[in-house]
Amino acid sequence: MQMSLQVLATLAWRNLWRNYRRTLIMLAAIILGVWAMIFMTALMRGMVDGVVSDGIKYLPGHAQIHHPSFRDDPSVEHAIKNLSPELLAALKQPGITGWSARVKVPGMIASERDSRGIMLLGVDPAQELTVTFSADDIVEGRFLESSADTGVVVGRKMLEHLETKLGRRIVLMSQTPDNDVGDRGFRIVGVYRAGQSSQEEMYVYAGREVVQKMIGIGPAVTELSVIGNDYRNLSPWLEQLQTAAGGNLDVAGWRELDNYLSLALTMQDSIGLVMTLLIFVVLSFGLVNIMAMAVFERVREIGLMQALGMQPRAILVQVLIEGLYLLVLGLCIGNGLAWLSLQPLAAGIDLSIIAEGADMYGLGTTLYPSLKPVDMIQSTVLVIFLGLLASLLPAWRAARLDPIRALNEH
Amino acid sequence: MASVSCKDLRKTFSQGETTVIGLDGVSLDIEKGSFMCLSGPSGSGKTTLLNAIGGLDTPDSGEISIGGERIDQLAKSDLADMRLHNIGFVFQAYNLIPVLTARENVEFVMQLQGQSVEQRRELSTSILEEVGLQGMEDRLPTQLSGGQQQRVAVARAIVSEPQLVLADEPTANLDSKTSTQLMDLFWQLNERRGITFVIATHDARVMSYCRRIIRMVDGQIIADENQAGGPGNAD
Amino acid sequence: MTANFLLAWRNLWRSQRRTWLTVGAMIFCNALMVFMLSLQFGTYGLMIETSLKTFSGHLQIQKVGYLDEPRMRDSFAGVAELSASLRKELGLERVSARAEGFALASSEERSFGIQVVGVEPDHEPLVSTLPGLIKRGRWLSDMDAPEIIVGAALARNLKLDIGNELTLLGTGADGSMAATIVTVVGIVESGMGDLDRMLAQMPLGYFQSVFVMEDQAHRIVMDVNSLEAVAPVKLQIGELIQGRSDLVVLDWDEIQPGLRQGIQADMASAWFIYGILILLVSFSVLNTQLMSVLERTREFGVMLAFGIQPARLARLVLLETGLMAALGLIIGVAIGGSIAVYISLEGFSFPGMEEAMAQYNLPGKIFPEITLAGVLLGPSVVCVGSILAALYPALRLLWLQPVQAMRSV
Repeated sequence: MQMSLQVLATLAWRNLWRNYRRTLIMLAAIILGVWAMIFMTALMRGMVDGVVSDGIKYLPGHAQIHHPSFRDDPSVEHAIKNLSPELLAALKQPGITGWSARVKVPGMIASERDSRGIMLLGVDPAQELTVTFSADDIVEGRFLESSADTGVVVGRKMLEHLETKLGRRIVLMSQTPDNDVGDRGFRIVGVYRAGQSSQEEMYVYAGREVVQKMIGIGPAVTELSVIGNDYRNLSPWLEQLQTAAGGNLDVAGWRELDNYLSLALTMQDSIGLVMTLLIFVVLSFGLVNIMAMAVFERVREIGLMQALGMQPRAILVQVLIEGLYLLVLGLCIGNGLAWLSLQPLAAGIDLSIIAEGADMYGLGTTLYPSLKPVDMIQSTVLVIFLGLLASLLPAWRAARLDPIRALNEH
Repeated sequence: MASVSCKDLRKTFSQGETTVIGLDGVSLDIEKGSFMCLSGPSGSGKTTLLNAIGGLDTPDSGEISIGGERIDQLAKSDLADMRLHNIGFVFQAYNLIPVLTARENVEFVMQLQGQSVEQRRELSTSILEEVGLQGMEDRLPTQLSGGQQQRVAVARAIVSEPQLVLADEPTANLDSKTSTQLMDLFWQLNERRGITFVIATHDARVMSYCRRIIRMVDGQIIADENQAGGPGNAD
Repeated sequence: MTANFLLAWRNLWRSQRRTWLTVGAMIFCNALMVFMLSLQFGTYGLMIETSLKTFSGHLQIQKVGYLDEPRMRDSFAGVAELSASLRKELGLERVSARAEGFALASSEERSFGIQVVGVEPDHEPLVSTLPGLIKRGRWLSDMDAPEIIVGAALARNLKLDIGNELTLLGTGADGSMAATIVTVVGIVESGMGDLDRMLAQMPLGYFQSVFVMEDQAHRIVMDVNSLEAVAPVKLQIGELIQGRSDLVVLDWDEIQPGLRQGIQADMASAWFIYGILILLVSFSVLNTQLMSVLERTREFGVMLAFGIQPARLARLVLLETGLMAALGLIIGVAIGGSIAVYISLEGFSFPGMEEAMAQYNLPGKIFPEITLAGVLLGPSVVCVGSILAALYPALRLLWLQPVQAMRSV
């Protein structure tokens, strides 16, 4: 059998181009289908990546460490009093790219004009910059300079709501452990932007020490946010962190912290697969059709080859190879086209005209398509596997032809 | 020893509701090196007999052996192997695989047999030269005349040195001159290489070449005659 | 025509396998689209209804500019008179005024910054489903009662229960400090995460006195029963408030542009996939009809020799395609439609959907909405695509030479 594989491959290739119109039309269909699969997957992955990374950025980080009661009752009462040396050592693991110990408490912000409910983040700017905040996010002024900085950094949208400006003063209020209200005046030293306006309205950054003093919790923090190098895979370091934290602290990955984001990620993977399958089903009708046409217009010649002593299974393999050529060609060109067509979009697709709609899905105003080799490989393997399955029926019928009848076919 | 031996072959076909008798108790021995033909009107069973001998079709009953080996009970894939190694075919038309060149058509069988590239190249060159197609090795079937196509088919049939070449109306689509040339070729190959030829035909010119003529009617052998045969007997 | 029809129909079944494979692709595509589109329409209707009925209503009257930048001081006067004339002159029954402000809410143990909404206890239940979602306690009793109802999650976070007191500390409309103590009388559990975390409503009258708003409000919310009534009623209201240049009437789409945009974005991405599927079906049709025409070249040559017009042959091929498309449409719509009807009785759900839907303030089951548009839109595009695809093989026939054609195999 192996000795004739070469001749089968030659036959299959030449047969493929005998009816070049038909082959080209089918090829165009496969290319279109593959392009759509890859292109759509890249957009969807980009969308989910955007939602998840924005979500992770402003909410949990890749993992969070809390007082065991904090997640049920997010109050300053349930703060982490001190970080153990074991935990600090565990945070130095490879795979962890940054962490930040914050005081994250609900509060109020008030200007002379208006007041709003916010989430107040008391941060050490050096740590925070390794986790979620990027210096590029600052659109006006500066980020905090130290943990003792008495300035405050607010979102663009919040600035509008409060009808205030950079350099003006605002008052921050939050609850103290004994349920008094701690408040303090701050000067706005910086304005940041975020992917979603709801985030700009939600988070206000101030120096950690200043906030600690304002609400009287000493050196305690409420939350430790940890970022690793791949949000999809935390397992290399999460367990060690849990061990190091012991029973005194609650260490949780983002999937546990935000079911919705986790669900979005799982859904994207399955929707991508369903889409690939739908496109494939429609393609396969065409594929079965042309493979069957190809077999049935060559009945006589298949009979001849059988008469010459070609094994039925060699005929089966020949038809399968023909299908395989078509699939591989279509996949190569389709994948290539998808890659090419994504290049101009790599800088991001502007969604600002549907900003509110995008917001509803937790999406920022720019969508960055994300083309992952794994998606290309997944759809390629799937298409080849299912495509060969679709070619199997005509191939099997070809192999089962009765040589005498085949030879007498007109 | 007989190269081919048939004993009491019977075969019926059903065509819709009627049953057609293909072979009705045919017994026949074919000596090695024979040059013979099966003749008779269409529907007489000559093609059915040829197909049965060639292992393309199995009889309902009776025995066929080739080179002493029974083939009537073989499975489909074993029959394919038997054809590949023992039998060469030449059909009336559409003899060649359209996407392969003359040389590739000849080498096709050798490739199935698993012969090496050098061996194939050497043999196909010499065989194509022997059938008079020197210089046309790389032409596709559509670029060859009907006679040339049949020569390629002959070259392919004999290249694996089969015990037996079966030809079914090989001249039916050829003009008289080309037919004569093809029969001359058959004759030479039989003389030179001792290959057994069995030709189903109703062409008198073809019959004139044969040393033995089997006449069939309604699936039965009605005459079995020997003659001198060879070229130059026609007309 | 009838002769052509018969000929076309017979021609289709000369190659049964090929015809069924092509029609099969159409059936699959059509059934899928019928089902998916009715599911989508069902979802969209649900999204709109749910979010409008919950809170925002179909129409609102606001001060100009309040929509873009909701400021405490951008309230408007004459609320009672305006409401009264909306009820009397336009016959609207469901009209309710609201005022909004931010406050730091402190219970005995906890404090949170929240948005407090002042509502009319008598009228609010007519425009919002929230008063009906009170799980414990009761709805607000009186315009001037120092009472509040809160969302279940907010109550949990603030460690509040019915009868507890809540201190509100905020900024009044005049910039002064607004402070009061109210009693929790009801806890709302809507099952919608954000709402349960944020909701705090108190009587409008009391709200106005705490936040120093006199008799002003920020919105008048109206429910006009159906989406179709929105546009005409909006026009009427526009005339009614002509004399008040400080006011504007807004429909739900202007109030919540995200809703429509979200729906449009979802529809667009769905149509991308449908478009691809339809194109693939068209390729399939192109291939089938091209093959079928090439196979019949000889036959067509003979027909031309008889003196049949080439245009008639082209029409024959298009008619064949049309028949295939019709077959695909009928069977596809039948299959997709029956699935949609079946599911519209049972409701559509899959594991994990409930959590995902809750994020968009939707219940966990979707009931497909079967409309004529939803059923026929997709399949009609498939038909058009198929006919367009068959144009190339059909038009080729116009250039067919009888003698050459008859010689071809």
